Amino acid sequence: MSPYNLHARFKAQYDANNQEFSISGVVRPQAIDELGPSLALLRDAIGRVRGVLYVNVRRLAQMNNAAFYAFSRIIIDACRARPDLKFVVITSSVVGWTSRKFGRLSGIEPNITVEEYDSEFYPGQGFLEEGGFVPILRTQTKMTWRHERAILPRHGMRPGIVMADICCGIGDFAVLVQKEFQPSRIVALDHSISSLDYARRVMREFDIRGIEYTYGDASEMLLDEEQFDLVTCRHSLQIFNRPELILKELYRICKPGGRVYITNEKNSHCLGEPRAESIRWTYNEVAKLFAHFEMDVELGPKSRRYLIEAGFDDIRVETFTVTNLDGDVQDFADVIVAWADVYAGEMATKRGDGAEFVARFRQGFQDHIFAALHPKGYAGWPIWVASGRRPQ
Amino acid sequence: MGSVHDPVGEPTFEPMIQIDMEIKTFVSAWKHCDYVSTYIARMISQNRSDSVRHSNLFSSAFNELLEVAFRTRHADGELACRVSRYGATDRIELTFPCMPEERQFYEEAVLQVVGFEAKERYLNSVSGDLAPSREVVLLELAVDYNAALRVEEADGDAITLVVDLPLEGLQH
Repeated sequence: MSPYNLHARFKAQYDANNQEFSISGVVRPQAIDELGPSLALLRDAIGRVRGVLYVNVRRLAQMNNAAFYAFSRIIIDACRARPDLKFVVITSSVVGWTSRKFGRLSGIEPNITVEEYDSEFYPGQGFLEEGGFVPILRTQTKMTWRHERAILPRHGMRPGIVMADICCGIGDFAVLVQKEFQPSRIVALDHSISSLDYARRVMREFDIRGIEYTYGDASEMLLDEEQFDLVTCRHSLQIFNRPELILKELYRICKPGGRVYITNEKNSHCLGEPRAESIRWTYNEVAKLFAHFEMDVELGPKSRRYLIEAGFDDIRVETFTVTNLDGDVQDFADVIVAWADVYAGEMATKRGDGAEFVARFRQGFQDHIFAALHPKGYAGWPIWVASGRRPQ
Repeated sequence: MGSVHDPVGEPTFEPMIQIDMEIKTFVSAWKHCDYVSTYIARMISQNRSDSVRHSNLFSSAFNELLEVAFRTRHADGELACRVSRYGATDRIELTFPCMPEERQFYEEAVLQVVGFEAKERYLNSVSGDLAPSREVVLLELAVDYNAALRVEEADGDAITLVVDLPLEGLQH
């Protein structure tokens, strides 16, 4: 759909189970009559609910004042007519104006509260996003880049394309791509403000141009549809509890004929010699630990299925293994140390694991490091790469 | 397009983009407000720290101004939209046909948007029974976007609304 297609530019829905009225898209009517069915739906929803009505405007990209007044009027009138009823308006921190504009309503009627949907997106990811993990993310990208720079051209990467890197984290992949492949434009999106601050700082310090970092929720992006030749999303589907929602968005913003490129792990396949058994046990436990927090770090081999189910064709899948024989072996060891700190530290504690389990869990990471640093040892971290083409 | 001249003591805003249209053409379709606000927002946001968010915010504010100009419903004259920049502030200068009595309305409306009462006035307008007026649109720009507004005379029967939007400061 062209960004200027005015047909069906917004959608209003009512979900009776959740007592939730939602409106999304671009709502810029000339006359209120154009909103008739949507306003009737809201009135009808108000008539049906008890207790609380949720008004979800998270995916509302634009709404002019005429429409805002029309919807607000109904809500304010309902507050006055039914003091028993509360309204919770759910805005998104991604859409800058919504919290400010709808936030005013709570100053008019105390029964209206406004909640900004933000840090609660994906609760488990907090472990992986805070500032302390940045150095290790950089090292991980350095290790995988040695492989991906050769792999990417097989999945649609070439000079001059317009690309998006969704869940870009600290932006190091986007920078490497910019230097190596010179796409004409990169839009890099993440919902971690601290990661984006870091990425922008790097961009300024190294005078990097051609990358636009933007704050957003990968499952509900403000980006227009069909605008990118290549959309990358690395190591991220595996830490979302509903990866199919992200893929739907990646598909939406990809041009017909363009490709979506994803990388994911299968953590239980991390390996090492010597001490293979201990290593295998620990990484099997890593998979279970992430599953406890609704993240699937075994997703790698499932990539093909996910891409097919999202509507892609011409699906290409390959794997590579980062090993202690690539580059600096200490990098490999440093990454394992960081994994051990987070997985056997904060995450295990939060799950409530006992000391005995944690000790054995940590031992596997130490054995993986031992294998990596051993003069005759071998240690590996396998990654699944997959891409699909959006049909023309 | 020449440089933007400001009153003494003001910084010089660097011109970024300008769109001129016959007002007749502009008011022939409501969607022109959306087209122009979306297009200009994208063009000027590319080098902001968060281009997508900036573009969304700018389009939201600018569209309201264009809708105000649209509703004047004049048959003759020109619409000129000029955007310029100084640091974190983007300046919209919207020139459109305007009769003398309307000009007085805008001048008074702009005076109303300054001061701490602006927020209260805005809340009263949202909670009131009347349909939103042009004055409320200007109030909202001041209250929700921290905009500074003024009216300038333009050639002929036209006025220029000058709106400074410090949107970089509104991020997150």
